Amino acid sequence: MNRIIGIELRRSAALGAALLIAVAGTIVLQATAGRWSMGWMALAMTQREYLAVLSPLAMAAGAWQSYREHRANVAELLAAVPRPRPQRMVPILATTALAVLVAYLVTLLAAAPRIADTARYLPPAAFVVVAVGLVAMIASVWLGLAVGRLVPALATAPALAVIGFALLILAPHALPDGGLTAAFSPAMGMSMFSDYDTVDGQVSAAQALWMAAVAVAGVVLFAVPNRKFAFAALLPLAIGATATVLVVPTGDAYDQGTLDPVAQELVCTDGTPRVCVSRAHEELLPEVTPKARHALELLTKTSIVEAHEDTSTVSPPTSPRSRADTALMTITLDQHGHLAHPRRLEPTMLTGVFTGPLSCGDNRNFTVATAAAYWLLDREPAAGPDGLEFDDPDAVKLWKGLQALPRAEAEARVVAVYQAARKCQDTTHLLSRGAR
Amino acid sequence: MRAVRAAETAPTLHPWLVHAKELRVRAGRHLAVDGLDLTLTAGVHGVLGPNGAGKTTLMRALSTVVKPVGGSLTLLGAQVDGRADLREVRRELGYLPQQFGFYPRFTVREFVAYMAWLKEMPKTAIPDAVQRAIDRVGLTPKADAKMKTLSGGMQRRAGIAQAIVNDPELLLLDEPTVGLDPEQRLDFRDLLRDLGADSCVLVSTHLVEDVVAACTDVILMNEGRLLFQGTPDDLIARGGQGDAGDSPAERGYSALLRQHRSNA
Repeated sequence: MNRIIGIELRRSAALGAALLIAVAGTIVLQATAGRWSMGWMALAMTQREYLAVLSPLAMAAGAWQSYREHRANVAELLAAVPRPRPQRMVPILATTALAVLVAYLVTLLAAAPRIADTARYLPPAAFVVVAVGLVAMIASVWLGLAVGRLVPALATAPALAVIGFALLILAPHALPDGGLTAAFSPAMGMSMFSDYDTVDGQVSAAQALWMAAVAVAGVVLFAVPNRKFAFAALLPLAIGATATVLVVPTGDAYDQGTLDPVAQELVCTDGTPRVCVSRAHEELLPEVTPKARHALELLTKTSIVEAHEDTSTVSPPTSPRSRADTALMTITLDQHGHLAHPRRLEPTMLTGVFTGPLSCGDNRNFTVATAAAYWLLDREPAAGPDGLEFDDPDAVKLWKGLQALPRAEAEARVVAVYQAARKCQDTTHLLSRGAR
Repeated sequence: MRAVRAAETAPTLHPWLVHAKELRVRAGRHLAVDGLDLTLTAGVHGVLGPNGAGKTTLMRALSTVVKPVGGSLTLLGAQVDGRADLREVRRELGYLPQQFGFYPRFTVREFVAYMAWLKEMPKTAIPDAVQRAIDRVGLTPKADAKMKTLSGGMQRRAGIAQAIVNDPELLLLDEPTVGLDPEQRLDFRDLLRDLGADSCVLVSTHLVEDVVAACTDVILMNEGRLLFQGTPDDLIARGGQGDAGDSPAERGYSALLRQHRSNA
């Protein structure tokens, strides 16, 4: 059988398909490295999202292989051989599965070196996400083989690619729930809203069940003697759909499962002042600590003695408990998994201290906070990669006012801003009018 | 017209390998083989007949590709009907279809090896059997060339190689000499004689000369029925000076067809 699979690999379209998928996957992943530079789970999920492209390609490759088979006109010859069709199918099923499997893994391995030195956190769920992606690829190419056999035409492969793309991207949106949407499309539910996102085990199980059902349906369609028996493929699809619906979490349960609490946990320095980052960003601790400690030194007149990464998330909405002795840092990464704007870490951390906790809502004054933070840093608040995201002339004006004051007076005003912000009080006039 | 049977002129010691009685086989909606009686033993049997005579449909039925719609057909001792398990029979079959398809990216060796696997040959026996089959059809220098790079005649020889790789008891060759040059046809006739020594070879062709030169038995079909079965000498004896054809065998062929048409 190994020899036959070797022959099949050489004569079939499997190697070409593998090359096409690997190249396409590598291009899309490398072109969007910023989406997955934060870690292994992000890489696994982003690659899964690109199944929207890779899966239709695999379908088209399968259909093309069947069209080639049809064009070879070997049906008459094969009709007279003793080996039963199910056994005859094994080499082509094995080679196409092997081809897409290798292509998917090559795409992943080509991306891995980019984050290998910065990504330390490797949750088991990342392996599951990749495994489900592999099942999806195999299901896609087998479905393509089956459709190509039943409709052996030149246009089948490109048409299937377009239809596959639509089914993966558009059709799941018709479903009423995020969990169901994710379960019935391996490319859905993979968008990263934070660096702590994950795919719940039950969601992966549901996706694997559905993809396995599609794979079995593909094999059934590939095996049936003619189109009249194609309805037999509905049975595995019905069983798979039922099992998927029973397994997948929906509603809030699905939403909560999209966050990895272990990735969100803080990992801290041994010495003081303590600096803590999320486990997802653990490898960045040596890069962050000197900057955070320098910022903490500037806050000696306040009660703040620690710096923690801000691990709050938007979807699902979570925010860490606010602590009076802690400044929060926002960590954003570049395409290589390092800090995207290293010189922005201290000003944003200090600005956060002077705006007060998130719970203060509209009472927070970012202009005043910016002026106070930049005065401590002895830098003019200017827009740029190392400074503000946008120009803030009012902040510059306030900062210049502080610079003109005696140091003790300026410092007193800045401390006053901190104390007011902690209590969610209005800080608008504290820098310009004086603090006494 | 009553068909003359080989059994009547040359009784054989071999048991029959193919036995058809009142065989009816459809080609699409058309009844292409209509009430055929045929018995074949070991040897080389040449099937002759004009276009539409039912030669290819007969070959397809004997190769188990199409099922008969009536009568009975026994191949290698097994009754062929809708419920029969043909696996054992197919292991002993070799078949070269008229419309011979192949995977163009295969090398000759890969193609023959793949067919050997499909014929469920023992894994260890395949490499030697493949080499022997390729040698017998004279394709050894091209064994590792891709099928798509071969000439039409060479592709046909590769088709014969796949048909004989399992040393079949029943070998069915539908128009095997298409595309072969004169020298290759002479070699092919030798191969046929060799193969027919211990198996039943059925060769469908338009070339009367090939049949006369290489076959021990001639079968003439027309309109789905057997017109004649006998030795090449019997066929030659049927021809007269006034019959069409460049050779005695062709004149015998023409005479039998003319006689059949006038009777009809």
